[in-house]
This record gives sequence, C-alpha cells and structure tokens, in this order.
Amino acid sequence: MEEELQRLRAEAEAKLAQITDPEELEPFRVEYLGRKGRFTALMRSLGQAPAEDRPRLGKLANESRTVLEAAFNVRRDELAAAAPSPAQRPDLTLPGRRYPAGRLHPVTQVMAEICDVFAGMGFAVSEGPDVETDFYNFEALNIPPHHPARAMHDTFYVDAGRLLRTHTSPMQIRAMEQARPPLRMIAPGKVYRCDSDITHTPMFHQVEGFLVDDKVSFADLKGVLSAFIARIFDAETPIRFRPSFFPFTEPSAEVDIGCVICGGKGCRVCKQTGWLEILGAGMIDPEVFAKVGYDPEEYSGFAFGLGVERIAMLRYGINDIRLFYENDLRFLRQF
Amino acid sequence: MKFTYNWLREYVAVELGPEEIAARLTLLGLEVDAVEPLYAELAPVRVARVAAVHPHPNADRLTLCDVEDGEAQMRRVVCGAPNVRAGMYSALVTPGAVLPGGLKIKASKIRGERSEGMLCSAQELGLAADAEAATGIMDLDPAAIPSLEPGLPLRTALGLADTLFEVDLTPNRPDCTGVIGLAREVAGFTGLPLRRPVEQAPLLPTPEQAGSDLPFTVAVEAAECHRYAARLLRNLRIAPSPPWLQQRLQAVGLRPINNIVDVTNLVMLEYGQPMHAFDFDRLAGGRIRVRRAAQQEKITTLDGVARELTPAMLVIADSDQPVAVAGIMGGASSEVGPDSVNILLESACFEAKSVRTTAAALKLATDSSYRFERGVDPQVAPLALERAVALILELAGGEAVPGGIDYRAGVQPSSELILRLRRVNDLLGTALDIDTVEKVLAGIEITGERADDQTLRITPPSFRVDLEREVDLIEEVARLVGYDRIPAAMPKVAMELPAVDPVAERRRRLRSLMQAAGCHEAINYSFVNPAHADTLQLPADDPRRQALPLLNPLSEEQAVMRTSLLPGLLDNARHNINHQSPDLRLFELGKVFFVEERQDLPREEEHLAAVFSGRRSPRAPMLWTGEEPVDIYDVKGVMEELLTGLALADLQLVPAATTPSYAMASFQLIITDGPEGELLGEAGKIQPAVLKAFGIKQEVFYLELNLTELSRCRSTSAGFAALPRFPAVKWDLAMLVPEEVEAGEMLAAIRKTGGKLLEQVEIFDVYRGKHIEPGRKSVAFAIHYRDAEQTLNDKKVGVVHGKIIKMLEQRFHGQLREA
Repeated sequence: MEEELQRLRAEAEAKLAQITDPEELEPFRVEYLGRKGRFTALMRSLGQAPAEDRPRLGKLANESRTVLEAAFNVRRDELAAAAPSPAQRPDLTLPGRRYPAGRLHPVTQVMAEICDVFAGMGFAVSEGPDVETDFYNFEALNIPPHHPARAMHDTFYVDAGRLLRTHTSPMQIRAMEQARPPLRMIAPGKVYRCDSDITHTPMFHQVEGFLVDDKVSFADLKGVLSAFIARIFDAETPIRFRPSFFPFTEPSAEVDIGCVICGGKGCRVCKQTGWLEILGAGMIDPEVFAKVGYDPEEYSGFAFGLGVERIAMLRYGINDIRLFYENDLRFLRQF
Repeated sequence: MKFTYNWLREYVAVELGPEEIAARLTLLGLEVDAVEPLYAELAPVRVARVAAVHPHPNADRLTLCDVEDGEAQMRRVVCGAPNVRAGMYSALVTPGAVLPGGLKIKASKIRGERSEGMLCSAQELGLAADAEAATGIMDLDPAAIPSLEPGLPLRTALGLADTLFEVDLTPNRPDCTGVIGLAREVAGFTGLPLRRPVEQAPLLPTPEQAGSDLPFTVAVEAAECHRYAARLLRNLRIAPSPPWLQQRLQAVGLRPINNIVDVTNLVMLEYGQPMHAFDFDRLAGGRIRVRRAAQQEKITTLDGVARELTPAMLVIADSDQPVAVAGIMGGASSEVGPDSVNILLESACFEAKSVRTTAAALKLATDSSYRFERGVDPQVAPLALERAVALILELAGGEAVPGGIDYRAGVQPSSELILRLRRVNDLLGTALDIDTVEKVLAGIEITGERADDQTLRITPPSFRVDLEREVDLIEEVARLVGYDRIPAAMPKVAMELPAVDPVAERRRRLRSLMQAAGCHEAINYSFVNPAHADTLQLPADDPRRQALPLLNPLSEEQAVMRTSLLPGLLDNARHNINHQSPDLRLFELGKVFFVEERQDLPREEEHLAAVFSGRRSPRAPMLWTGEEPVDIYDVKGVMEELLTGLALADLQLVPAATTPSYAMASFQLIITDGPEGELLGEAGKIQPAVLKAFGIKQEVFYLELNLTELSRCRSTSAGFAALPRFPAVKWDLAMLVPEEVEAGEMLAAIRKTGGKLLEQVEIFDVYRGKHIEPGRKSVAFAIHYRDAEQTLNDKKVGVVHGKIIKMLEQRFHGQLREA
C-alpha cells in the first residue's frame, strides 16, 4: 500500500513536470487530485490496510496529496507566467467596480475639524438661533443702538427688534445667562450680512468660542489660539496678534498667520503684506459681563470668532467665496 | 484715513522708511492697508535743458531741439510746442517709457527727422487740467527750484516724490483721524518729539464775555453742541491754492476748491478737527445760532440737495434760516465762492451721537461727519482755528478781526481713572512693573501720577475720548508694550466633561449615511425667493407659505427665510444639469423657519432633504453599472437606510394617501409614527409642471425629513441577538396574483402565517409578460426557515410552507406557479 502510494506520487510528479500546455493542466488535476481521482481512490482503499498501519498511511497519503497540490499550483503559475494567455488573463486596467460615496461640503468638513480641535481642549459645543433679537446680537454685546456697525447695510432685519444674526457672538450671552463660570464653549453656525462680492456672501459660517473663569488672561487667549492654529494649519505657521477693536472685547486682537499662499513673501492674496487675517478675539468686555450679571472683578474671560469659509479658502486655495454656495458638483467633488 | 510720508514727517522727524512705519503702526492697532508711492507713473520723467532749437527742415510748426538730460551725449528731440526756447528747463520722456495716459514713447522719425524722446506738457503728465495745456511744454523755473539740473527726476524737482499711507481706522481711535494723531503714535515708538504747527492758542472770550464791538454773535441753544469757536477774517482774495496745498489734498483724494476751503480741509486732516467757512456777508444779521431744526425746516446743502430737517437735528442758523447741518455739511446759501470777501471760520465740537443719527437720517456721510461720529477732541477747536486763520491770511491776504468767540460751556472735563498694576498683569498675563506701564503711556501723552507704587491716577488726555475705563487703559498698555511681548500660556481651568449635544451627534450620523448613499452635500442660502411657494403649487393653507420676510433683502430672490430645503436643491439640480452634470445626488441638512405667532422668535426646524436625478450610480463606472436611471426605489432605499441607520424602528415608510402639490400621486411615500400619525418625512417624484417651473428637463426624485421632529422619536437601542446554532433552509415560491395586489401586503401576510419558524422573507422577482396572462403578475419569494432549537427537516418546513401557499391562494387569489 505504501509503495503504491509512493509510486502514484512519483508518477504524478513526473507527469506534472512534463506538462507544457496549460490546456493539459485540468485533465491532470481531474485524474490525480479530483474528487473521483486516483489519490481519492487510493485513500478510500486505506480501509483494507491493517488497522495498526492506517493512521500512519492516512497521514502519508494526506501529505502526498498536499505536496502534489502545491506542486500543481506552482506548475500552473509557472506556465501562466511563461506563456500568458490573453483569453484567460483579466484586463486589470478596466475600472474597478466602485460604489462611490458622496462628499461632505468643504464648509462642513472644516467646521467639524475646527470643532474637534476645541472639543479636544474641553470646549462644549452649542448652537443658537439664526434669527436673533436685537438684544442678543447687539445690545448685550455693548453695541448700543447708535453704533456704526448697526447700519442697515450690514444687518438683515426682520423687523425693529429682530434680525438675522450678524455673528455667532450672541451665543456668549445666551450661554452666560444660563450658567456660571467656569465656562468653556464653542458655538458654530450660520451668520448673515448684507454684502455680496468675490470675498463676501450674504450668508457664511462662523465659530464663536469663549472661556470664562477667575484669572483668565490675554496670555491664555494667545496660548489657546496658537494651539488651534498649529493644529488647523501646521505647527510651523507664523502667528501674529495685533491690536484691533470690537465693542464686546477689551483688549481686542486680530490674529494673522503667515500667508499660506506665498509663504510670507507677499502676494495678491495677502495684499503684499505676507500676513493673512484669520480671526478676531479679545478679553470679554466688562460691559458684557455686566449684561449677564457677572462681576468683572471676579471673573475674566476671552472670546474669539473665526470665519469658516476663510479658513477653507486658505486651506484649499479657493479664490472666490461664492463657489461655496453654487453647489456645483464639479466643485463639491473635489473635497 | 490717508496721509503721506512727507506730511507725517512735518510733525515727527522720523528716519524710518515707509514700510517700516507701516509695519509698526499695524502692530499698534492702526492697520495700514496700503503703502503706495505717489506719482509712480512719473518715475521715468526727467528734467531736461533745451540747449539749442533748430528749425525743422520739413515742417514749419516743428523744431529740432538739442536737449541735455544728464547723459554724456546731447539728445535730439523733435518738438511741436510753441513755447520751446533755448535755455529752458522742461520735462523729458525717453523711448521705452509710458506716459500716464498710456502712450508709449518710441524713437521715431517725424517728417524725416529722428526724435529720441518727447518734451512733455503738464497735461500730458497728468499734472494739469486741459485748459492749462495750451501754453505748451512744461517750463520749469530754476529760480523757484534751486536743485534743478538736467537728469533730475521730475518728481524730485517738483517735490512730488512721496508715499501714500492708508490706515483702516477702528472706530475707537478718533484721535487718529488727523495726521498729528498718527504722528503722536510714531513719536511714541521712536521716542522723537511731536511738533504741532500750533501748540497753543489764546483763549477767546465766551459769548457772554465777547465785546459788543465784535461784528458777529454766537448763541448756542442746544446741548448737542459742546464747543463753538469762531473768528472773522476780512478782505480776503479767494483764489486757487498754491501747488503744495493742492498736491497735498489731491494726494489723499480731496479735490482742491479754493484757498479758503482747502485750508479748512487741510487743518481738518492735520488736527482731526472739521472746520467750516461761511461767507460772512451772506449770514443774515451776522448771527450764529446753534439750535435744533424746526419741524420741516429746509436747507439746501453744498452738494445742491434740498433737504428737509427734523427737530432731532442740530443746525447752524443765521437770523433767518439754517446755514449748515451741524458737523455734517454747510449750506449753499452761505457758501464761500470766488466773490466772497469776508469769512466767518467755525471750529466746533458736536456730540457724536447727534451727528451720527443726523448723518444716517439724511444719508449723508462726509469727512466732517466721519470725525464727529467718532468723537472729536473738545480741546482742539481753538488750536485748529488759530492754525487755519494763520494759513488763510498767508494765502489769501486780508486781516483777522481781533478776538472772536469760543463757546465752551458744553465741554466735560475728563474724569480721572485708577489704573491698578495688579489688574494690568492679571488681565494680560504679564509681569510688567509700574515704571514700564507709566513710560509706555507717557510716550503717547497719557500721563498721570502715582497713587502708590502699584497704582496710577490718570486723567486721559482730551484727544483720547475713547479712554473711559481702567480696562481701556489696560488695552493701551498691551498695545504699546506690544502683543508679541505678551507670553502665550494655556489656561488653568478645572477639567470638566463637556455636555454632548444629541442633535449634533445625529447630524453627524445622518451626514455619513447620506454620504454612503452617494449623495454630495450642498449648502444653500437660508433666504429664498418668495415665489417658490407658487412654483411648488403649495395650497393656500400650507404652513410653508408662512415664510418670514426680510425688511431689507439683497434681492427679491432672497427676500424670505426658507420653509423647505427643496427649492434650493432643485435650483442646484438645474445648475448642475446645465453644467453637464446631469447625474446627481445632492443633499442638504439645514434650518427652515416658520413664523410663530405669540413667540419672540420664529420656529427654527432642522430638515434633511435630497434630490436624485440621472443615472442610478452617478460616478460608478458605466462599464459595470450601465445607464439605468434612478427611480422611486432608490429614494425609498435611501430613506430605509436612514431609518435603519438612526435605529428608528417605530417609524413606518408607507405609500401616501394624499400627495403634495409638487409630487406625482403614484410616487409618494411618507414616514409616520402610526396610521394616523404625524408626517415626519416624505419621498417621491417631482411632478412635471414643477420641474418645468424650475427649468429642469429630466426626472427628479426627492426626499425631505424633519429632523427636529424625528429626534423626538424613540430610538431602539443597539442590542445583541445570539447567533443561531442550527442551519436555516431556504424555500422559494412564485405566486401568480392579480396586478393590483401589493407586495407589501403579501409580505406581511407571509410573515404572519410563517410564525416563528419563518426567519426572513424576501422578494426576488416580479415578472409580467410571456406565459403570464394579462392582468396578472408573478411574484417570487425566497423564504428562510429556521428553528432555534433543532435542525429543520423537509417535513416540518413543508407544513408551514404549505400553509403559506394556501393563504396566498385564498387571500390574494393567487395561483402557485410551478417551477
């Protein structure tokens, strides 16, 4: 029995080695390795061998079969490699069978990224209404009725007391009215201004953020915003804090980053300055604290607001803000 | 606010270059928007001396000039000007240069004679108006310009070489609406002294103190006038201003008018103090009354516009009528013109709020209102008046009537502020000492005294009307020290677990489900065309007709807040189809707005909507997916995926009993939370008339969900079911049923009859046509049976399967189709 097994294996191996035409492979497989092939037949006849030999013979038979199968596969690949048959080989340059996913709007993507950075620093995320009262949008933010920023050309009004929020800053007031410090929050959302040209759309997105506690300083504001910029752009991006004015912060700052287009050398995008303004910030004005009943001697805090489109435009090199709202698939597919 | 480099240097002898000054100012919060060389287009123009003039052999009106231009070789230029003469100095442009008008100079032959350049007139160089051009080429006077020599750049010779700065002033810096204010900042960071043209002015008498011999009177009758100083000048000669003054005004974009008006403008730009000159002979009664306007009182302002005033507005009036809108614009009746001889000069201070509201009401913004709206230094009026008087007498001759009037009862003294060093360092996160704080403030003339070694008592200077609180001084310290010198630190805040917004979570989930369904995200404006309600053919009582209108929309297309996301997406569909992307799947997740009676704010709901059109798999390779168009089952499938993905098991997606006006009746599904339940979402096919109105010529399917309502529905929490231990068996059956039988009912009936052995039933074919009699269809089901406790055998399955067949035959008039 053992001899028979070895003979069969030797015979098969010899025969396999002689095969040169891939067409002969299948008959060979059927003859030796098939379900009704000679190895199977031989293994079935193992039952006739003496009981004490059966385990050993069985193992041997299995091994022989495995070895032969491996040799068969090798031979098949060898033949395929030596003489590729166009009829059998798939054209792998044909397109894959895709099930394409859609893409999220670039504003959504950048917004999510911004929120994630601040969430990682422990900021809660909250949203407010798009249609706001004059009180939350202006009055409580130390923008009294005669302030120039309230001129009709900036704000969309619904009526005398209601408007489309011109910034996400009303959420500072809404949040501070609801809770006592410590407070750490960002408020993303849509904002509206009556303005429309290559750099302005009447609707755009902002993320407001603020942190209020005892002993929060301008140095903390610099630290948090520097960390944010390092994460959203890259750690090597130069950052500049520059004095500015907002009615609801004092001191106020505008934050510039080294121009990501020209690397700071000066170009059209940065108006030759080498710097790009990306957000406004400052220490929350005592008048704002007074509006929500916080004692400015007890608490201090910083607030910031940034334009999502602005960051998306810099990130992707988009030169016309109106593209965000045309919803042209040729645009949307790129992100 | 615009100014020039040379101008600035009149007040502070700064040696830094324009770019450096711009950078320093920007870091002080005075953002320099532009630094531009003035008359840059004149750079190639040089001074030339005409050495000799020869007649042109072929033309009577032309001459051949030998010209010295600083080069070794004499240059030959053909000239047509009548005033050319040997020995004169003029302006030369050489080949290759381009004139301000765009004319490119080339070496050429003129009537056979070679010309290597062009001698220019002032007009050709953009330095004079047309009328003055008749006199010919520029004739520069060596006596007036000592440095004049051939080759000298013309800009240098004429003193035109200068640099323009434009500062984007924040509203809190009224002191910098004058060049002196900006010079003060430069003096601060350079340590150089600030020199004002007039440092001190004698105090003029108040209206009460004024002598009766003064030919005019001033009466201030309204509290909105804080100060009113005036002087009378006589026997003036009104004329154009000298070139230096004209150039200075032109450099910052002001049109020169005459020597009087130009001086008032110059002094305004210097000191930030708006001024006005009245023709004294046209002031009735020689009286100045500062008062509120009467109801419906009228004035024609200098711009020629007749304006109606209200009692809220402050005017300057003579005995009869208003002669100026206070702080905004003078009246035409007392305008200084070529024939004026006697002038009353006004230097006043009006309340910021009053000027702001009046300017807004009249829709009239002027250089004067710009300054008063921000707040003018109440102490600068007499200085500016003195400066203007001196300049006018210098330029227009005449004499000043001694004395004048200075009403100043309305000036409020600045109140003292306490600046605590600890507060400075706490708020800024710095470790500044008191000396540093004191020194940086003193650099811009903010001075005080020490209350103790930790505290300063500071009375803000009158020109800093913005400094009202300690925190304003702290900002000054931060600004002057430099934001770059404040360290960056991370806040030390107690750690907290921020609250999670469940709506935001759900939104993220939905976006990724829509993305997986192959939809691209769109974002449309929240305001839409009110005509959409009609375009969608919404019935009169549809709540979506109650859109919130805007008072001041940019256009009629954006006049109301949206009540549905569909119109925006249909607009997007048209845009993409028209731009060769006819295969599309777009979704939007955003707010819609409904007018809410008895509520302060409108109701804001969050919706999700999508449109589908064109090929079923827009971006999948056509080789594999073909050109099959999308249909109702695609939209239904997406809707089902959303419900599964959100684990909203209680909701049902069912054919709609009534169809919305914009959809097709036979293609409408709704999501409800029960048979009589609330409508939470819908899906269907847009009907052709609506598509037509949107300009779309292909089928569009849509879905829209109310997320705000959906989030109130119960979400089945994820649970685990043990994996089955025994195999399932799958038996198929095909039933011939009448057309009108609905698959959904058959499925439900099969499930019910199958009982607990039935694990799953699925339709794998619906067939009509060959071998099937008309009016009937064959529906084929694959039924999976499984027993949780044992391996099933054919007998057990056969019993249940047989019951199902029998049920289908009886209930649906079915007929088993033999394989």
